Amino acid sequence: MHAETLLDIAMMHSDALILRAKQGDQNAQGKLVQLWYKRIYNFSYKFFQDHDMAMEVSQKTFISMCKNLGGLQDTLRFKSWLYKIAVNYCREEARKTKNSRSLSFDTVWNREAEDSPRWESSGQRNDNPEKQLEQLELSDILQQALFELNDEQREVVIMKEYEGLKFREIAEVLNISENTVKSRMYYGLDALKKILEKKNINKDTIGYEL
Amino acid sequence: MNYKPDEKDWMAYLYGEAEGVEKEKMDQYLLENAEARKQFEAFQHMRKLMSSVEDKEVIAPPIIIEGSKQRFLWNTPYFRMIVSIAASLLLIILVGRATGTRISMSGNEFKLSFGAEQPAQINTPAKETTPSLTADQVQDMINNSLAANNTQIESSWEESQKKLNASIKQNLAVNSAKVDELMKSASVASQEQIRNYVASMQAENMQQVKDYFQMTSAQQKTYIESLLIDFDKYLQQQRNNDLQLVQTRLHSIEENSNVFQQETEQILSSIISSVGTSNVNEKKN
Repeated sequence: MHAETLLDIAMMHSDALILRAKQGDQNAQGKLVQLWYKRIYNFSYKFFQDHDMAMEVSQKTFISMCKNLGGLQDTLRFKSWLYKIAVNYCREEARKTKNSRSLSFDTVWNREAEDSPRWESSGQRNDNPEKQLEQLELSDILQQALFELNDEQREVVIMKEYEGLKFREIAEVLNISENTVKSRMYYGLDALKKILEKKNINKDTIGYEL
Repeated sequence: MNYKPDEKDWMAYLYGEAEGVEKEKMDQYLLENAEARKQFEAFQHMRKLMSSVEDKEVIAPPIIIEGSKQRFLWNTPYFRMIVSIAASLLLIILVGRATGTRISMSGNEFKLSFGAEQPAQINTPAKETTPSLTADQVQDMINNSLAANNTQIESSWEESQKKLNASIKQNLAVNSAKVDELMKSASVASQEQIRNYVASMQAENMQQVKDYFQMTSAQQKTYIESLLIDFDKYLQQQRNNDLQLVQTRLHSIEENSNVFQQETEQILSSIISSVGTSNVNEKKN
């Protein structure tokens, strides 16, 4: 889906780093945090649509990672192990939020909009500002649609579509069968399609943009 | 071909995780089934759409992990709590010792005292100094006081009886004197006074009747006058109406006679002209 960046390559080949971090090397642990922080933050952000909660979950995840890395048996399973921690914290925060729902300060203030024009935060730098704006609007609608999915479908869709985990890895993270993961993914995509159709986003209306 | 993919097959194929026979079956199914191809394209489109959501840039904050120091027994919270309770108890005992505090409970009594104990004072009942009375003596005393009380009540009752009789007699005397005075004044009223009273009554009555008749005659007069005026108006109106009616009748008779005259003239002229033409025809013939 996404073009592999240097960061992605580093993440894929970080076995030696994980081993050193496992042995208590704080420098290696710090580097692991640097490597994986963006991924875990974006996973949590897509799950909650909230910067503060995503930061909270990310920090808790990496504190837990540093504390418990010594207990990780198979370093090849580091990725699914890390996402498992993140998913557990996401679920914990979601439970807390359901009990006491409140607006994040970022939601009210919209710090990004305050600091800089939205297109500047975009990774892609197109010359056509109109297209960029449309792309941003579409992105917002999609994130909103993603947020309307139920928690089970949302975590599977995010892990598969945005985090690029294999079905087997997602099954490991969630501790369920691979078939259940595929089934949740199928119904998640179907639900997304219906949500977007309700918002009048379909192949015909935005086909020219893609 | 009876193959029909389920959700698992769809997802594995869509994300390129289907291999071997599974993949071939799915390829074939899509080739043969246009509806399935449409569905597959819809899924692919959905994935394209989803790819427009980009990652947010974020800088990892420093993560500070507490070092795993060895925890000694005296650093545990339970140990600290037990030691603090023991210290508090010791402090209470020392303060009690220094102030000589004594706490005792006996029966319903709770006693808290400080300092050295003093012997308790015993209150002995005062000795009887007067000799005791016998039952007969007490009875005699009661009888005597009752007798004295009775004589006092009788004397006061007699006195009040006398006062009451005297006041009744006095009231009777006063009332009978008043009645006598009234009777005397009633008999003294003379015949002359009665005559005057009757005469004045008659005069008043006569005046009232006269006034009444005068008032009624005036009212009747105005009533009849107004009645006559109304009747006059009515007659005048009636006369006008009759005159109008006669006038319109006359007018209509006049109109009718004119019409009749015109019709007669027309008939006559048509007869004359028809007679004229018949004569001419006869002459021609």
